[in-house]
Parts: sequence; C-alpha cells; structure tokens
Amino acid sequence: MKTLIGLTVANLKSLVRDRAALFWTLFFPVMFVLLFGVLFSGSSDSKVDVGWVDQDGTTASASLRATFADVQLLKLHDGTLDEEKAAMQRGDVSAIVVVPAGLQTATASAANGKKASVSLALYTDPGQSSTDQVVEGAVTQIANGFNLAVLAPNSAPVLLVEGQSLTSTNISTVTYLVPSILAMALMQLGVFAAVPLVQQREKGILKRLGATPLARWKLVASNILLRLLVAAADAVLIVGIGMLAFNVQIVGNPVEIVLFVFLGAAAFLSLGFMLASFIKTEEQASGVVQVVQMPLMFLSGIFFPFDFMPEFLRNFARLLPLTYLGDGLRQTMVNGTQIAPLGVDAAILVGWLVVCLAIAARSFRWE
Amino acid sequence: MTHSGEPVIRVADLKKHYGDIKAVDGVSFEVARGEVFGMLGPNGAGKTTTIEVLEGLREPDSGVVEVFGLDVCKHPDSIKQRIGVQLQSVALYPRLTVAELVDLFGSFFDHRVPAKQLIDAVDLGERANVRSMNLSGGQQQRLSIALALVNDPDLIFLDEPTTGLDPQARRSLWDLVKGIQAKGKSVLLTTHYMEEAAELCDRVAIMDHGHVLEMGTVQELIGRRFKERAVFFDTSAQLPSQKLAGLAGVTRASQEDGQTLLYSKDVPSTIGALLAMADDLSIEPKNLGIRQATLEDVFLDLTGRALRD
Ligand SMILES: Nc1ncnc2c1ncn2[C@@H]1O[C@H](COP(=O)(O)OP(=O)(O)O)[C@@H](O)[C@H]1O
Ligand SMILES: [Mg+2]
Repeated sequence: MKTLIGLTVANLKSLVRDRAALFWTLFFPVMFVLLFGVLFSGSSDSKVDVGWVDQDGTTASASLRATFADVQLLKLHDGTLDEEKAAMQRGDVSAIVVVPAGLQTATASAANGKKASVSLALYTDPGQSSTDQVVEGAVTQIANGFNLAVLAPNSAPVLLVEGQSLTSTNISTVTYLVPSILAMALMQLGVFAAVPLVQQREKGILKRLGATPLARWKLVASNILLRLLVAAADAVLIVGIGMLAFNVQIVGNPVEIVLFVFLGAAAFLSLGFMLASFIKTEEQASGVVQVVQMPLMFLSGIFFPFDFMPEFLRNFARLLPLTYLGDGLRQTMVNGTQIAPLGVDAAILVGWLVVCLAIAARSFRWE
Repeated sequence: MTHSGEPVIRVADLKKHYGDIKAVDGVSFEVARGEVFGMLGPNGAGKTTTIEVLEGLREPDSGVVEVFGLDVCKHPDSIKQRIGVQLQSVALYPRLTVAELVDLFGSFFDHRVPAKQLIDAVDLGERANVRSMNLSGGQQQRLSIALALVNDPDLIFLDEPTTGLDPQARRSLWDLVKGIQAKGKSVLLTTHYMEEAAELCDRVAIMDHGHVLEMGTVQELIGRRFKERAVFFDTSAQLPSQKLAGLAGVTRASQEDGQTLLYSKDVPSTIGALLAMADDLSIEPKNLGIRQATLEDVFLDLTGRALRD
C-alpha cells in the first residue's frame, strides 16, 4: 500500500510539473467550459428567464405584469404562446406564464361580489426542478397577493394557477455542453495517459522499476489510481464552474453520475494503455494521441447536438465510444434527450474497456 | 585481496539469441564475494545482455545463472531485494527531485538506507531538491548509483557507469565505486574503457561477439601475451622502423599516431642501442619513454581491432 501511494504521488508530481500534460488534462477542459459558457449563456446574471404571454391585453393584465417585473429573480420576455414555447424548447426561457383573456372582466365581476375566476397557466420543465421552485413560488405568491388586493376577505380567489408541464426537448446550450465537456475531458485524460507511459518506457524507467521488487500490478494500479483522481478533479472543476458561473442545474442520481464518470475514465484509460502498446517513440506519442482525440472530440455527438448532425456523421458518431459517454453523462446529469438508453451507453463503454484492456495486456512492452 | 566462500554470481554456458543475433553465446564466469568484476568489450559484445539476465530483466535461452546461489529465473523477488542496479541508460523520472527519487525507490524495498546519508554519500547534498532533468550527466550517474544503493545491496550491477562523462566526473565516479568495494560489497561492472577496468576491477573478462575471450586480473591478461615492454618516441624520418627492428632486444617495431614503438624484452639494451644510433646521426629522439602493454593492446592482439569504435 505504501509503495502504491508513493508511486501514485510520484506520477502525480510528474503530471503536475509537466506543463503540457497539465494543460491537456485540466486547463483545456476548464477553458472550454468558460469559453462556451460565456459564448452561449446569453445573460450571465443569475435571473430566471420567464416567457410572458398576455392574452388579456387590459390594464389589469398590465398591472399584473408590473408586479411580476418587480420580482428581482425573474426576467420577463414578452411574446405569443407559440413564440415562448419555442423559446423554452430552445432553452432561452425556463418557464412561461400565460395570462388568459378575461382577467379584467373576472376581476371586475369579483369586485362586485359575483363569483368569477381565471387561471394563470404556468409552463415549467419538470427536469429543471430548482428553477421550477423559484418560478412556482413567485407565481403563487403574486397570485395570492393579487387576490387579497381585489377581493373582500373570505371570498373565493379570482386568480388561480394552473401548472402545465412542457419538457424542453433542447436544454440550454451551456447545460448541454457541461456534460459534453466533462466527457471530452475524461476522454482526453485517458488517451493522454499514453504519453507518460511511452516516455517512461523509452527512458527505461519501466525497465528500471522491473529491476526492483516492485510488483507490476502496482505499477499499473498506480497509473489507474492517478487517472481516476484526475477524473474526479476534472468532474468537480467542470461541473462546479458550470453550476456556479453559468447556472447549470445538475439533476439526477449522484451515484449514477459518479459511476458514469469513472466508467468513462476507465474506458478511455484502457484506450490510452492500448495506444501506449503500439506507439514506439516519445515523438510519435504526442502525434498519435492528437490524431486519436481530435476526431473523437469533433465527430462524436458531444459538441453538436446529435439531431442536428447530418445522417452520415450521425452513423459515424454511433461507432465512437465518446458519443455514448457524452450521452450517458447528459442523461444522468441534466436529463438530456437520449441517443441510446442509459444501459446501452454503459454496456458500450464496458465493451470498449474490456477490448482495449485485453489488447493492451497482450501487446504492452515494458522496454 | 582474497575472496572466499560461495561466489555471489555464477554463470555457466549462458546463451541468449535474438533471431540470428547471438547476443550472448556461451558465457561462463564467477564473481566472488567482495570482488569488483569487470566485463570489458566493444559495443555489441553482449555485456548488457549478460548483466540484464543477471538482474532478472531478460530470460536466458539456456545455461546456469545464479545470484547468491539462487536461480535468477526461480527466485527473482528475493534476489531483487538484495541487488542494486544501474542500467546502461540513465532511467530517472525527469520531473522528480533527487530526494523524491531516493524516497520513491527506497519505498520498493524491505530494507533501506536513510535517504540523507545516501544523498551525501554520492555528493548530491546540495542538489537534493533539484529535478533530475536539471542535473549534469555526472550528477545523474551519481544519482543512479545512489538509487542502486538505496537498499544497501550486497551486489551492485553497473552497466557502463562512466560512458559519456568528462574525465573529472569519471574520476569522481571511480572514487564512488572504490568506496562501495571498501564496504565489502561485490560489484559487476561493464565498460569499454580499459583504463576504467584497470583502475577498478579485481578481475576482468574481455568480451567480444557474445564470447568471453580472456579472463583474469589485469596483470595476468597483459603478462600472458606481452612479455615485452615498449620504448616509444616521436617518429623521425632519419630513424625508420626497418632500421630500428634490428636493435638489441627489439622483437617488433611499429608506428602509430606519429609515434614509433619498439617492443623489447630488454629495455635498457634497446634504449642504449637507440641512443647510440641517434648519436651517430647527431639527432635526439623526442619524447622518449617506456610503457607497458595495456588492456587495449591485449584486446587488439585478441581481435585485431581497437577496443573503441
Ligand atoms: N532486445 C534485443 N533485440 C534484438 N537484438 C538485441 C537486443 N538486445 C541486444 N541485442 C543485440 O545483441 C548484441 C549484444 O548487445 P548488448 O548486450 O547490448 O551489447 P553491449 O552491451 O556489449 O554493447 C548486439 O548485437 C545487439 O544489437
Ligand atoms: Mg551495453
């Protein structure tokens, strides 16, 4: 155990002191999140965007809108119901409030002691539970306040809230990108693991270690341990930045997310081990690693929504493991639309893991 | 120096072939406890292959290979606890410091020497916190030796420890090896520098093309082939070697690198005759001197080739 930790610490120090390696494994993905976050988050303030559909068009509805606009947390976007639904599906607004025709009339009747009521329709996405709570809370409070203002005590409320759910088929770009960037980072940390391994072999370090009583499995285990640690660091950094800076909501079972992160890291690490088995020199290593990671990065369904890709690219992407890691992470983290069921994603990653590891075990050279 | 007891290394008829290349082709030798044993030979002679079989890094094709009386193929782990290894190429994590490397390698062994003591012993005390990639070649070699000593081994393998070093760094490494021997440890080293073998080794095996050609102390190896010593001086046109070959005591005359060499069984008579001849011509031989045959001459005589290149 002491040797395993010692070796892992040695590898970690080597990684941290290697600027190029550090760039690819940590800074590059973080840069991606920041860059895409700033580009796509539109408003970087933490207000909740709400679509406002006024079908009444009277002074009553205008004063109701003013009350909503006063709420610090909300930012209203006016439009027709169809426009706002489209905006919500794009991820531009998180909820829609619809003021039905007849608000003014019903209010007037109620003031005269007649029984009358109208229902505000509130569209929210159940997948985005924490935004929902903010909006629902605000809408309910305002409706209550409105009722108290216009009615005599103990009469039936005139303004009701009727919840509607609208699943936004496309979640917001940043929300889509955070799991994608995490998938990319996990892919890179695995594939790039080939570089120090080849270096250590070419420098004779692996051979030198072979002349000590150090067991080989510990050497392999320390490499895996190190990369899983980096995977955890990548996940915390990327998700953390997404949540804190760009208001990305992580829903879903944390255990599932963690399992997917580690499964993905392990699958790509075994791909890295396999690459290290075939690469001959240190110079080759950095080239080969780029040649492998670039197509994975751009041709898997991680950066361009899968449905937007042309048919032939989509078929190609279906062959790449990163497509399934991205899909799995999106499904577990932000409830994204699926390319394949979660079980299939996991099974394909396990398949890659097993095949690459078997090939690496057969053909890895220690010197 | 006397060596007693069971040998620390026993190799008998070791063979290791790579396809058609007979890297090691029937090598036998023993190293006694406390002995510094040298394998001297040109590149490709099979030195590294032999030493790496002993270190448990390569499988022999056939032959007996024992370290501490144990078969290296059957007991690699217990042997590795007790040996120290320096590979031919410096194999260090480039971004770890001297102290970190000593700690890391120490952690692989059951028994270890205190790190500070070891770092001071190889004179790297002031460089303890420098990354290995920023050390000079000589410092890297000394660090490699420190790592080979981290488990206080009984037997140390050094594969070309001074290749590529400047003379001063080479000297400091030689002192280090002498210190190791003074502690009663056994050393197997390879080199293609005959001065190094002569300076450090109790016994030497001369290797070429996977074979041991000759084995013994340096004096034995020279004495076996060269009964004569050589009188040398700067070659002069007035003293051609044909004329000199007839001088008293001379068995053979040759010229190399602007020097004339007269091999002689009776050096005083040869010098007397040479000076008389020069006097007749009213000249004086320049840079006159006497030298004994060296391992280099032994190798030349054995193979017809110079040791280096
Ligand atoms: N792994 C190997 N595969 C093929 N040939 C090898 C290998 N290792 C050594 N050789 C060959 O075996 C011969 C002896 O090499 P080596 O033991 O390194 O010699 P030395 O250390 O004396 O220079 C050389 O011809 C070398 O090319
Ligand atoms: Mg060699």
